[in-house]
Amino acid sequence: MGLLVVLMLVLMNYTESGRVRVSPMETVLRDILAPVQGLTMSLGHRLRGLVSFPFTLYNAAEENQLMKKKLAELENTARQNNEISSENERLKRLLDFKTTVAPAVGFEVTGAAIIGKDPGNWFGIITINKGASQGLRPNMTVINGQGLVGRITSVSSTTSEVLLITDPRSGVSALIQETRAPGMVEGVASFPGQVRMVHIPVEAEPSKGQVVVTSGFGSMYPKGIPIGWVQDSRREPSGLFNSAIVVPFVDFNRIEEVLVITGSAALQEEPNIALLPYPWGEGRADNRGRSPGIVNAGEEAGLVVQ
Amino acid sequence: MRLLFLMLLMGLAIFLQVTLLNFFPLFGVKPDLILMLVVFNSFLKGSREGALVGLLGGVFIDLANGSYIGMNSLALMIVGYLVGFTESKIYKDSSIIIIFLVWVASLLDQLLTYILLYSMQVQISPGVALFRVMLPTATYTAVLVPFFYHRFYSSSQAGLLRGKNI
Repeated sequence: MGLLVVLMLVLMNYTESGRVRVSPMETVLRDILAPVQGLTMSLGHRLRGLVSFPFTLYNAAEENQLMKKKLAELENTARQNNEISSENERLKRLLDFKTTVAPAVGFEVTGAAIIGKDPGNWFGIITINKGASQGLRPNMTVINGQGLVGRITSVSSTTSEVLLITDPRSGVSALIQETRAPGMVEGVASFPGQVRMVHIPVEAEPSKGQVVVTSGFGSMYPKGIPIGWVQDSRREPSGLFNSAIVVPFVDFNRIEEVLVITGSAALQEEPNIALLPYPWGEGRADNRGRSPGIVNAGEEAGLVVQ
Repeated sequence: MRLLFLMLLMGLAIFLQVTLLNFFPLFGVKPDLILMLVVFNSFLKGSREGALVGLLGGVFIDLANGSYIGMNSLALMIVGYLVGFTESKIYKDSSIIIIFLVWVASLLDQLLTYILLYSMQVQISPGVALFRVMLPTATYTAVLVPFFYHRFYSSSQAGLLRGKNI
């Protein structure tokens, strides 16, 4: 007994903490046991997982509900953010236009939002949220950053009805910008993707890609507003004129805000076409055939203001 | 009461056509929910009421349009009256039949509108009218019929739309 106590004390001393070397017997034991230990530990982990699984599941279900709720909230926020971001983008473009292009071409404009469209499919009419009390009057021209939208046909105190250039009742006196060939741009039912330019002189056959702008000839629309580009052309059945399919610059399917030309400001100098964005300008002042700005957009804007 | 509820439905339909449906165009057109309601009602209640509800629906569209007031009223009244003749002749539970009926009625309504527009000097080429307006509108409207018809039918049997003919 006494011997055992002594042996234990010696062993204790021998195996005190901080020793660097282990005994050969310990080494063998450790090496043999290491894989078994590893296996047992791994089994232990799994067993723990198995035992705690129902509890984890309960927690996971609760967590899942929470996550789903949070995800729905985040998705909602993301959607709202996207909406706000796209609205910001649109308004920024309109503001850019209002502060850069409009003064350059001599337009005084006011912004308005679209609050309704024609209930049927024959006409192209929109309702905007500004009217007589904001100074709007019938026949004022409506545009957006891309080009011509239409003209106001009637106003109430806080709303106005706008006849789009895609309406079959709309007629806009226009020019092929490059050749200066005149014609009349008409709507094709309510189809928003194209309009027709008719009565183009037969000797001036339009080519694909040519820009069409308002001519201002005896028209209520100011001169030089971009309308669209020629997609196709053909001889009219009478044989006396050409007609062309014109794709409007304005995307009438997505339009949400517009600018109404309320008046004209006297131009101090010729607009710097190089600074105006397409289709109002093209960054090349020498390219007279491709930049609507070069036809002195807005020089007759006074026509809409009595 | 039934007429009031019908008018409420028409008000909702016109509101959707002026606002929300513009965001979901198919082939560049939106569906004609008013026509759908007029056809459903005429199909279930006959010519006399069909004509009256058609006229009411048309007034809704004309007022929302703000121009050519009377054009849609006239067209939809005729459509409602004609569709009403099918009331006692066709099995009412079949969606296929009512889809076809709405499609034909929509084409007829658009054709009448086209003729009336033409008479008022609004000239649209027949090809454009047929392929860009009439057929797409009729098809889009007909496609939506299964979503609404059975609700309308059951309501007219045992719901808010139940009751004597107007």
